[in-house]
Amino acid sequence: MVFTSAVQLAKRAGLDQYWKKRRIFRLSAHYYGRARNCYVLAIRAVHRSLAFATKARKFKKEDMAQLWETRIAAGSEQHGVKYPHLREGLHRCNIHLNRKTLADLAIWEPYTFRALTQIAWTKMRQDGDREVKEMDGIPPNNVVVPSSKN
Amino acid sequence: MSNSHLFMSAGWVTAPLNNGIGRYSGQLQRVVIKFCKTHGCSRGVREFVESNLIDFSRQNPGVAVYVKPRRHRAPTITAEYCNGERGYMHVSNMSRDEVYKWLSHQTTQSGREFCRYRKFWRTETPSIQGVWSPHTFRDPRLNLAEFPMVSTAPKDWFRFC
Amino acid sequence: MSALQRVTQWQTFARTWHLFDARWQNPFECSSLIAKHLQGRHKPIYHPLNDCGDMVVAINTRHIALASDEWIKRVYFHHTGYPGGATWTLAWELHDKDPTMILKKAVYSAIKNNLQRRTTMQRLFLYPDDKIPDDILANITNQIRSPRPVPTPLPDPASEEFQSFPRIAPFPEDYVLK
Repeated sequence: MVFTSAVQLAKRAGLDQYWKKRRIFRLSAHYYGRARNCYVLAIRAVHRSLAFATKARKFKKEDMAQLWETRIAAGSEQHGVKYPHLREGLHRCNIHLNRKTLADLAIWEPYTFRALTQIAWTKMRQDGDREVKEMDGIPPNNVVVPSSKN
Repeated sequence: MSNSHLFMSAGWVTAPLNNGIGRYSGQLQRVVIKFCKTHGCSRGVREFVESNLIDFSRQNPGVAVYVKPRRHRAPTITAEYCNGERGYMHVSNMSRDEVYKWLSHQTTQSGREFCRYRKFWRTETPSIQGVWSPHTFRDPRLNLAEFPMVSTAPKDWFRFC
Repeated sequence: MSALQRVTQWQTFARTWHLFDARWQNPFECSSLIAKHLQGRHKPIYHPLNDCGDMVVAINTRHIALASDEWIKRVYFHHTGYPGGATWTLAWELHDKDPTMILKKAVYSAIKNNLQRRTTMQRLFLYPDDKIPDDILANITNQIRSPRPVPTPLPDPASEEFQSFPRIAPFPEDYVLK
């Protein structure tokens, strides 16, 4: 950048500083106390919160997955099927529903979810899974699942 | 990164009065186009008024269009909606096509204030079979059971745990 | 919100009272089961921030069973806060003092430490035997299955059942019966 005089250079520097600070203040606009308007404190708080935000992007996905697993496990244990058996049984029946969908079904469409647990349970029992066989439960009499080829 | 959403109101995607289910009625009621007859920054608006405005008005019979020339002021478009909100935008130095594009854009709006979406999906009827409740799969025989139940009671009477 | 939606929500978040029979149960095994019901983790609507935990009434806590020699090996630590205020109490001593305390502490440690912990614990009722106050018994609508089967005790040696039990082998001739 070419500055024809020192005055212009000084002006330019002030402007740059203004926009630089403004960029930070935009991100600290909702903070409480001096971290909102004092630049030295604001930039620390903004850097801190951006670092948290970076980590939180990963944690949010993990937390949601964990919540979905808790919900699916709760829904399926009510019908006598454990979470790993449900996922494995559905996978073997080529029903590839993800955790989010299964958790939504467990809450909002409980009868569909019960049908899925029965399919998984019947499939696992048909394949001779030892743990499932030992579990007591009333086998549903209206569920037919394809037999394994291998 | 922008934090502009922090001070926005939060809401969902909605249509006023279920607009578009069965019938659709345009929410834009009135458009006021202000421009200068001589100034350069109004050139696109002037061209739009000369060549496209009649067509636009015929295509949108529900919209009242006002054209207001004023000397040496920047051109603007004000759109007023059924819900009483108004959209105001500067169209300085825009070409004819751009003015037409933004006016068409205003035609499709509902006039609702921009908001941060809490969710991208929303339905009034989230469940067809009925939401899960503690009573959904409850064994009716439990209604007559006496507590504490002895351990010889049938196993399926107890909650599976 | 319509009246139907409001009632649907009441139904979904209705609190259930569960009964749990702790007779012959290992308190450290069944504590996670009780904690699950107290926190509402057994419901598909579970969320850490929504209030969907149930009430649990645990009875017969006097008759819990600890594994192997845990009655004499498990130690409960307490500190009054003053110098020299530390005490170590054996499990059998604690059980003598308060027969509900071992199960209560087990459930307390099964719940993760957060602001909800004390509130969650308030939903747990513990009774040393099978006597439940009538107002609490009236609320109970469900029973949690105990994880371990309750063993049948040996019958009284003088009873007819004991006497008529088939003998596998006769006593040797020189065996002296007491």
